[in-house]
Amino acid sequence: MTKRIFRSICFVAIAVFLASLILIMGVLYSYFSGVQQRQLQMQLELAAQGVTNEETAYFSDLTVRDYRITWIDTDGTVLYDSDALSSDMENHLEREEIKEALATGYGESKRYSATLMDRSLYAAQRLEDGTVLRLSIAQSSILTLVLGMAQPISIVIVLAVVLSVVLAVRLSKSIVKPLNEIDLDHPLSNEGYDELAPFLRRIDSQQKQLRRQKTRLEQKQAELDTIIGSMSEGMVLLNEHGKIVSINPAAMALLGVEKSPVGADMLTVSRNLSLNDILRQTLQGQSVVETVSLETGQYQISASPIMSEGKVAGAALCFFDVTEKEKAEQMRREFTSNVSHELKTPLHSISGYAELLQNNMVKQGDIVPFAGKIYREAQRMTSLVEDILSLSHLDEGAEDMEWIEVDLYELAAKAIAGLEAEAKAAEVKMSLHGEYCSLHGVPQLLHSILYNLCDNAIKYNKNGGEVTVSVERQDADAVLTVSDTGIGIPAQEQARIFERFYRVDKSRSKEVGGTGLGLSIVKHAVLIHHGAIEVDSAVGEGTTITVRLPI
Amino acid sequence: MRSRFDEQLDLLNKEMITMGALCENAIAMSAKAVAEGDLALTESIPALAEQIGQKEREIESLCLKLLLQQQPVAKDLRIISSALKMVTDMERIGHQSADIAEIVRMANLKVGGDTEEVRNMALAVIKMVSESIDAFVKKDDAMAQAVIAYDDVVDDCFDRVKKLLIGRFSQPGIDGEQTIDLLMVAKYFERIGDHAVNIAKWVVFSITGSKG
Repeated sequence: MTKRIFRSICFVAIAVFLASLILIMGVLYSYFSGVQQRQLQMQLELAAQGVTNEETAYFSDLTVRDYRITWIDTDGTVLYDSDALSSDMENHLEREEIKEALATGYGESKRYSATLMDRSLYAAQRLEDGTVLRLSIAQSSILTLVLGMAQPISIVIVLAVVLSVVLAVRLSKSIVKPLNEIDLDHPLSNEGYDELAPFLRRIDSQQKQLRRQKTRLEQKQAELDTIIGSMSEGMVLLNEHGKIVSINPAAMALLGVEKSPVGADMLTVSRNLSLNDILRQTLQGQSVVETVSLETGQYQISASPIMSEGKVAGAALCFFDVTEKEKAEQMRREFTSNVSHELKTPLHSISGYAELLQNNMVKQGDIVPFAGKIYREAQRMTSLVEDILSLSHLDEGAEDMEWIEVDLYELAAKAIAGLEAEAKAAEVKMSLHGEYCSLHGVPQLLHSILYNLCDNAIKYNKNGGEVTVSVERQDADAVLTVSDTGIGIPAQEQARIFERFYRVDKSRSKEVGGTGLGLSIVKHAVLIHHGAIEVDSAVGEGTTITVRLPI
Repeated sequence: MRSRFDEQLDLLNKEMITMGALCENAIAMSAKAVAEGDLALTESIPALAEQIGQKEREIESLCLKLLLQQQPVAKDLRIISSALKMVTDMERIGHQSADIAEIVRMANLKVGGDTEEVRNMALAVIKMVSESIDAFVKKDDAMAQAVIAYDDVVDDCFDRVKKLLIGRFSQPGIDGEQTIDLLMVAKYFERIGDHAVNIAKWVVFSITGSKG
């Protein structure tokens, strides 16, 4: 900006200066040349007069300062010259002014010296005797004049340049200042050049548009981040070389990394071979869904390649936690196989004994014990089927059951009374303590809790052992405790005793009977009453089971 | 030129980790076979050892190619030369895991109270192998040093197993073959621990350049 302004100013100044110089020089030079010419002519006339009157004597006492005087004979030989010896000089007949003077009586001419630095004006006049008198005067040429003025001219030019620099700087500053002061963040609040108004309006509208788009983008990004960040499924994005581009916290947790491994190779994060196998296939362009077991559990991995222009540009991995599902699936399988096994065992006995009876292979005296065995096995099957039915009923949520006010203490007394025969057979002493405690519940379920707990306490007791049942009220809970002095449950088994068909000692199960479903039913019934159940047991000393039911 | 070299170094790193993962799998499987007497598992270990051997040859040729074509210096040279040494140890781990599986299959080792000590030892060795490979992956000097130090734990384990088995010989009616087989299994685990130490040492060398 400054440069361009400077250039224009400088150009204008110098152009004007040069133009006026040329003009003035031209005008003045021609004027003074005219004056000089006339003077020369006058002097010539005077000299001609002198020469005509005094002949050669005129020259002898002539003192010439500014002029050069030459007298030329008719044949062109120089008779006299004020500057040089006449004899040395060449014939002057061919000179323009001489020729002219010889022809017309008067002639003049101008000639530049060889160096162009000087110009000579010549005037010649034919005298009466036919000789020619010539007068010449040296004159500085324009170039000489100009060169003579070189110093002042250069001073003026330098001045012009300096002045134009100063002016240019100041001017450009004053032009640029309002432009520099434009607040581009608030384009419409500016005053300045009106010419800029449309420009500023455009900037304003574009800024608004940009802001809107930025906000929208940020919102989208935040939404996406929140979704990916808060989802419980792990998600990993990889580039085409298998390096991690993005990973969410869930994926980091399940792969067991603490620092964000963005940029690292997937292999350095997890050395799981099947996971890396999936990755390899995916990066070759295949979608893979597979279940992989990692250190933190079982995960179903859904891996799909990200295609761009027909090439694999990366891969997206989704980890779904299927640990629970797999566990549930396994439990279901176990349950099915357990049920079939448990149902098959009594059936085998029944059909075996029945076959013997049918083929008449039983002695008369053995018929009754055989029938008794068949009856017992059938009873066992019945109770098993009943247990399974009530469990599946509980699984359904037992919605059709009737909730009424019942007294836990009375129910406990009833259950103990019902088990008296078994207790006597096992030589176990039963006692009931506590207070009356009524609560809102399902009597059948509460009864099966009490029955199963007491039944277990008798079954897994020692001869001459004791079973103590107590019912009491604690805060807003009814607390039922059944403790025995039996064989106890090892600590590592305690978590599993509520599983269906789980037996601590599998070899004894036949002996003591039972279906392996009792505690499972108890747990379900307690859960339906929104209660909690705890086990406290030491091997060889006994077991205490505490049930808390909200009133 | 350099970027191609970097790519190849990256590939070497990946291949090393893959080989490490194969070794981890092999030793974990053989340990499981010992602990649970799972014969089906022992069938698949030799194939895995074969795969590890294949990887060793691949990595070796990759290393040699890098050494010849790129003429690496300083740290790159250390990484490549230590990789060349590490694969040998890894291959031995794979091989010895297969040997353990072989003993379990041939001798039909019974699972019992005595195998508990061997199982603990196997866990300690698995930890060593895993951590030595982790140290390689993370280029973690301290972790590698920890692996080297952990070898004492495994040696103690071996001593305990040995004493236990010696004690068994003094009982009447023992199965001598079974006892000796168990001792061999324990020795193999102890050897694998030594190989893990070697790997850790090479990791230290590739990071610091000093051979501890």
